[in-house]
Parts: sequence; C-alpha cells; structure tokens
Amino acid sequence: MQVPSAHTLVTALVSGVLLGGLLAITALGLSLVLGVMRLINLVHGEVVIAGAYLGYVLLSKLGLDPLAGLLLIAPALALLAYPLQRVLLLPLVGKGVQAPLLTTFGLSVIAQNLFVLVFSADTRSLGRSYATAPLHLAGLEVPAIYAISFAVALVVVVGVHLLVQRTGAGREIRAAAEDPVAAAVLGVDVGRVYARTYALATACAGVGGVLVGLAFSFEPTTGTSYLLSGFAVVVLGGLGSVLGTLIGGIGLGVIESLGGAVFGDGYRDFIGLVVFLAFLALRPQGVLGRADR
Amino acid sequence: MSRAEPGAAVQALPERRAVRVTWAGALLAGALLLALAPSFTSDYTQQVCFRVLEYAALGQAWNLLAGYGGLVSLGSAAFIGIGAYTTAELTNHGLPLVPGMLVSGAFAATFATVVSPALFRLRGLYFTIGTLALAEALRLFMVNYNGLGGNIGIFLQTAAPTTAGLYWLALGVAAAATGLVALILRTRLAISLRAVRDDEDVARQMGLVSFRTKLFAFTLAAFLMGVVGGLQAGKLSQIEPYGSFGLQWTVDIVTVALIGGLGTLAGPLIGAVFTVALAEWLNAYPSLHLAITGAIVIVVVRFAPGGLWGLLAHGWARLRPERVAKKHGGTPR
Repeated sequence: MQVPSAHTLVTALVSGVLLGGLLAITALGLSLVLGVMRLINLVHGEVVIAGAYLGYVLLSKLGLDPLAGLLLIAPALALLAYPLQRVLLLPLVGKGVQAPLLTTFGLSVIAQNLFVLVFSADTRSLGRSYATAPLHLAGLEVPAIYAISFAVALVVVVGVHLLVQRTGAGREIRAAAEDPVAAAVLGVDVGRVYARTYALATACAGVGGVLVGLAFSFEPTTGTSYLLSGFAVVVLGGLGSVLGTLIGGIGLGVIESLGGAVFGDGYRDFIGLVVFLAFLALRPQGVLGRADR
Repeated sequence: MSRAEPGAAVQALPERRAVRVTWAGALLAGALLLALAPSFTSDYTQQVCFRVLEYAALGQAWNLLAGYGGLVSLGSAAFIGIGAYTTAELTNHGLPLVPGMLVSGAFAATFATVVSPALFRLRGLYFTIGTLALAEALRLFMVNYNGLGGNIGIFLQTAAPTTAGLYWLALGVAAAATGLVALILRTRLAISLRAVRDDEDVARQMGLVSFRTKLFAFTLAAFLMGVVGGLQAGKLSQIEPYGSFGLQWTVDIVTVALIGGLGTLAGPLIGAVFTVALAEWLNAYPSLHLAITGAIVIVVVRFAPGGLWGLLAHGWARLRPERVAKKHGGTPR
C-alpha cells in the first residue's frame, strides 16, 4: 500500500465517476429484472459477456464497429430473451423463489460453456484505437472509452427511465412490479410484461457488454464479476430505481477506483465487494426500499 | 420426500422389523464392499470414487442448508478454500492430514459463525447474493494478498497419501457427513429448519429462534465443506486460490444436490454418482459436459423438483401400490 499523490487521487476520482457509467449500464438489466420480476437473474453476467462476444463477431467477421453494432446487438439479444423467458421462466412464476433462481443458474452454466465451445477460453477484447486513446480532461488523463461509455450509459439509462415512467408500456411494468395480482385483475398481461421486461433488461446488458469489451478484456467466465458489480450497483442505488443505477454505478466506480489507487489495482473488485457486503449487512431494508424476501 | 414418513408408523411391527433387518443387511454389505474396494479396483476407479465421495459429502452439507433449511448459498467455495489453505498450512507445520482436516473444518465453521450475523440479516434471495459476494471477495483477496502465497498459492511439503488412502479418507468423510445429516434429521432441529424454510415469520411467531437454527445448519455445512477442502488439499501437491476458492466448486455442489434431489438424504449421494459419471463419460468434452449439466439442472427444476431420487422413489411407489395409500395420508407437503 502506497500513499498516492493528490493528482493520482483526482484522476482516480474522475475515472471512477466515468467508469460508473459502464457499471450502471451493466447493472441496469439486473435491476429491472430484480425490481419488476423479483428474480435474481444469475445469467445476467453471461448476457453482458454475450454482448461483448457479439461485438467481437461483428467486428472480426463483418468489420462493423462495435458501437455501431449496438443497434444490431441490443435487438438481437432482446429477441433471444423474450421467448427464453416465456418458455423457461414464466412457467415457474408462483413456484417460490428457488426454482427460477436455479433455472437462471443453469442458464449461466450453459452460457459460460457455450462461450468456451464457440470462442475458446482465450481472453479477448474489442481493440479499437478510439477506445484506448487517452482523453485529456483539465490536465487529467483518462481512457476515452470511459467517457464514451458514460455517455452511452447516460442515454440508455435516461431512455429506459422515460420508457418506464412516461409510456403506457412503462405503466404496465410499474403496475406489475408494484402488485402483480392487482395488475392482472386490472387487465395487465403480467406474463407478457415480464417477458418484455426481461427482453429489455437483456438488451441493456448486451449494450453494457459491448462497452465492457471496448474498455477491458473478457473471457467466458468474466460475467460473474459483472453479476456481482451489478448487485452492488443495485443495492447502492436502490432496488427498482432506474436512475438509481446511475447513482449506484458512479458510487461503486468511485469506491473501486479510489480503492485501487490506494491499495493497488488488484484490490479494485475486492474493495467494491467489501463495501457492497458491508452495505448489504448494515442496512439491507433501508437501501433495498421495498424489502423483499 | 420419501424418508421416514409418519405414515410408515402405521405398518405392522414385525413387518417393519423385517424391512429394517433387510435394510441394515444391505447397508452393511454395501459398506463392506465400499471399504474393501481398493483391493479389487484400479487406481483410476479409486480416483473417480474419490471425487464421487467428495461431492457426496459436499452435497450433503449444501443440502442441509438449502434443501432442508431453504438457505440457498452460493458461497460454498469460500469454505472449501479456507479448508484447503488451513490444511496446507497445518500439514506444512507438521500436523498429520486427518487432524489437519478436522481443524480446517473447525476453522471454516468459525469463519461461518463470524460472518453469519451479517449474512442472516439477508433473507431469501439476498442471502444468496450475499454468499456469492462473500466467496468472490475472499477469492479476490487470496489472489492479491501475498501472505498466503498470493496467486501462486502454497506447496505442500508432505507427500500425499496413496490413492487407496485418499479413497478411504473420502469414504470416511462422506459416510460421516451422511451420518451426521441423518442424525440431525431425527432431531427437533430438522423440524425447526424446515419450519424456517417454509415460513420464517410464522416459525418465529411459534417461538422458534430462527437465527440459532440457521446458524447451526450454516456452521455445520461450513465444517463439512472445510473438511472436504482439507481432503482436497491433502490430495494435491500445490493449492492456489483460483482452484481452491473457485466458483466451479459452488456450481458443482449445487448441481449435485439439485440433480440428486433437494431435501432428501439419498439425493446428494445419487447426484454425486450421476454428476461424476456424466463427467467421466464426457471427459473428452469438458465444456459440452458442463453445458449439458446446466440443461439437466433446468429440466430437473421444471419437471422433477424432487431430483433423481424423487423420480426413483416415485417409480418405486408405483411398483408397490399398497404402500402408496398409507404414505399419502401422512406426507406433509
């Protein structure tokens, strides 16, 4: 552990805030599924990484830039997720919390190993010159992709927020989240709302995955760390709150970044998890809002 | 779901005794066969059996938590890793393997006790996330912390026991784990555990101390996992954080217990045999094997929540319809 200079700390703070955007968008889908469907989606991390791999395929096979590829990747993942939810998860609604949890666990095991089968276990990244180029911000140097992903995250998070708060489909989502039985009585097709939410969440996770691929390297098992950072963001930002994921993401980004600057880069994720666990243990009911069992 | 049902008490006494004698005989014969296995099986078979027995013990531990107690933990790797590291350190300091394994179990149980106040504030799904985060945090710490070998790990200075020796140790651990869980199922504690699983609030209102009940299951499971971690270390010449604290342990344990049958004593045993057999059958295609395992998990959750043991018991009941009527009267759920 070394004492970092003020300049290092400020750089860490700024890159932490920007990295928060990336963390927020990788957590958004988890938050939606947890908030609306009361489901811990253990395959969430693999969906994120699926986004990164799709970006990799588009780039290496078609030469399509991953950021432009977002427009293909997000709908493709949503189209995949919708029937998946209807066939695998919907029949388990009302059968307790364990059955859907373990189903997503099975999906996660399948996805990780499909990645290995299709893409091998090698570490990959979406190397783009604009992503790795340093960005100079008021005398500070941060990777440009941090700023790009922050901007993308801002657009997606605000977009989803408006979708949930201002549209008819969003009203149905909020109704199903609040009280699925009452919503069903009032004519909301809760099953369809769940499937749509799951599709939307998957699309968002895929967008996050492309950004992950641009900013860092990834391999078939990388998803787990985004699942966990996603939980941390959800807990810090408040369950079921779309804009909260942005706040939680920035919070976690700053904590990890400062922790990395103080204790060494290897401890970044560890510090994030410890703060997350402490938060979870000290005030689960307060942070989680509508405490759920 | 098909263990000592209350309905079984209706059976006439002599018949029960006869059934008991048959079962005891079969068990004894089976135990003898298993104990003598190294004298007529190859090293390879013993190594495969070692894994089956390890998974059986781990499956029993996890099943006690998740199957009977409803505490779905995804933190098993933490306790296995703690056990492996403790045994490595202790044997390197001259302690023999078996006491080392027992101390490892005790150490893992102590760790479980220390973290339990925080974890048990989390209910249901949040407990699951908390355990996963805890295990990953510990793994990341062990990778980065240099005091215990960092990401290289620890080399074991004592030679590993022979294949047969390891087999016997694993047999002992699996038998002890199964015996312990079987014993617990005969006590009030099992009833408390299931009450907490089915509805914690109601259980509390009935005067149950849910914290103590959960703590017992959690520490006992941690103890067993720590012992198996120690056993695993005893087999290896080097332990490192990626393997010892790896998520793969957690994944394997869940699949063993789930495929075998949650909340049944025989489930983890059958699940361990099935999982290892599948792995051996597909050992040229490890990724395909795991993907298939994932698919089996999904199918089991959806269509056979009682697991393989549930299916077997169901089939058995259909073969002997006269017992079904009696059983159905007393099945609690």
